[in-house]
Amino acid sequence: MSRTPLPITGYAMCNGLGPDRAAVRSALFEGRGGLGPPSIELPFETVVGAVADDLPELPPELAPWSTRTARIGARLIAALAPELDALRGRWRPERIAVVLGTSTAGADVTENAYRRFLAEGALPPDYDLFRHHTYGAILHVVRRLAGAEGPSWVVSTACTSSAKPLASAKRLIEAGIADAAIVGGIDTLCAMTLRGFRSLDALSPEPARPFCTDRRGLNIGEGGALLLVEREGEPLAMLEGIGESSDAHHISAPHPEGAGARLAMERALAEAGLAASAVDHVNAHGTGTRLNDVAEAAAIESLFGREVPVVSTKGYTGHLLGAAGATEAAIAILALEEGWIPASLGADPVDPKIHARIATERIHGRFDRVLSNSFAFGGNNVSVLVGAAR
Amino acid sequence: MSDGVAVVGWGAFVPGFASVTDWLAGRASAEHAAPVGALVPLRDRRRASPLSRALADAYAGAVERAGFEPAQVASVFGSALGEVSTMIGLLDQMWSEGTPLSPMKFATSVHNAAAGVISIATANRGFTTSLGADYDTPAMALVEGLGWASSRGEAVVVCCGDEAPPDDLVPGQRGWSLLAVAVALCPLEQAPPGAPVLDRLAPLARSAPVFAPPQTDAVLGRNPSVGLFDLVVALERGIDGVVPLDRGDGRGWGVRVTHPGAA
Repeated sequence: MSRTPLPITGYAMCNGLGPDRAAVRSALFEGRGGLGPPSIELPFETVVGAVADDLPELPPELAPWSTRTARIGARLIAALAPELDALRGRWRPERIAVVLGTSTAGADVTENAYRRFLAEGALPPDYDLFRHHTYGAILHVVRRLAGAEGPSWVVSTACTSSAKPLASAKRLIEAGIADAAIVGGIDTLCAMTLRGFRSLDALSPEPARPFCTDRRGLNIGEGGALLLVEREGEPLAMLEGIGESSDAHHISAPHPEGAGARLAMERALAEAGLAASAVDHVNAHGTGTRLNDVAEAAAIESLFGREVPVVSTKGYTGHLLGAAGATEAAIAILALEEGWIPASLGADPVDPKIHARIATERIHGRFDRVLSNSFAFGGNNVSVLVGAAR
Repeated sequence: MSDGVAVVGWGAFVPGFASVTDWLAGRASAEHAAPVGALVPLRDRRRASPLSRALADAYAGAVERAGFEPAQVASVFGSALGEVSTMIGLLDQMWSEGTPLSPMKFATSVHNAAAGVISIATANRGFTTSLGADYDTPAMALVEGLGWASSRGEAVVVCCGDEAPPDDLVPGQRGWSLLAVAVALCPLEQAPPGAPVLDRLAPLARSAPVFAPPQTDAVLGRNPSVGLFDLVVALERGIDGVVPLDRGDGRGWGVRVTHPGAA
């Protein structure tokens, strides 16, 4: 059953490529990655995509909630100020939902607090689980800064966390529960995530090279992206369809043939009422791990053939985990707006087992529809289909 | 959500009780002190946290009572803190023991561990999600579930739970005990006659007459998922009225319950 597309009326992003959309856009256009040595002490080599330490302070009344996550949120809200003004002019505060995604929440704060607890027998006196770690903390900050009073929650489905809020927003608006939604996600670097992916033998010691025959795994990045979805408004792009599926296969390994991934892509197309031939470009999940890239590329090829250009942007930003889905949806919108897609950084030479068309150079052209994939632990899959506003 | 949804099943894991019916009757049972997670194959069950097993028990109860096909039904899982004990275990490994992290513990430390384990156990390739909103988690999980049922015209199981938080992070006097609760929802036109109906899911008008939450011990009553438990108690008792979905620590959302067949 196809559904009415919804306008995306604003978006902002911030990650290791830069503090705002313009900086991220420039780096992608120039094929310049944002990965570097971590400031976190680690017993192994890797590189990360870190947000520069010049984040804005929260206003005094929100100071008790000040964390890196919250301050990234504040930066994104500030970047969307004109669009949010327009949105608030169209809808009552209680009709504006906030649905965010994160996989780490305040884990960076908690792991440092807990380290001090182990060393000194007490948590830092200013540490507060409910203001520094839990999902309610970032919701409180974003709601206050954005002036939204509608339903609000955080989706935490690992690496699909910030793609799923787009689906939640669509349902909330379709069901008449909300008229607009501020959606997206934020993740920050922490030692536990880096060591965890290392334990899975998934972390690359060098900048990740998704789809490349020489790929050695993924890198972790931090950052965030927010998008505004409304019942009506001046669109930058249209949210046309979202597919969600489960692999029902393994808690941390993808289905070897990408069955769940294909199902998510098919469902996104079905929701939009479109054939696969309507899609001009796929922004892949493309982590750079041996298993993901082959399985995902096979699923993409089986559905879209060998002509549709496929890009992973994780070679630029690292894997933003709970912020990846929203960030890559935002990058997909950039492609629609500007008529180019970035090179899949580091992909050359492409793995001979991969037959999808991996774009090893920037491609210019007219893009009417872009599909953005996100896959996660638990076998959780999301495909977001965005269309040009024209 | 002008038309509402029907509730066609519910289930719970309440420490020491076989069901909410038994809890209401005061029939404690030592064999139900810990969650089992019988829905999950033994190998995965051993790796699953108490929270994941409790959510699986509550989910299984609701699905069975509703007669839903486990491989087909959509699901929304809610938890304020998720797998926080697993996370603390990983931090201990990192900071105390100095050993590499357990890959299995890391993979099951994600908030959607239960959703993943249950989708694998039931071979369900459909929609599942996992969310949190502190003490508003039950209300927001219901909003997400109702959004699914209303926009898709399909059934959904909404399942919320939280395990006892580590004392190191949440001091005992603020802590709570393990609890998991699930409700099976479907669009009104698919519901059997007489099924209770939920509607008016919204912030409570503070002056509106509301259902008084049942007396629970304080430790259970502090669980962030207790609002869904209070809803299930209202359903078990056949009570009509507006049920608050938190006990004062959240944003004050509630939902109206109506039993169409009741006199």
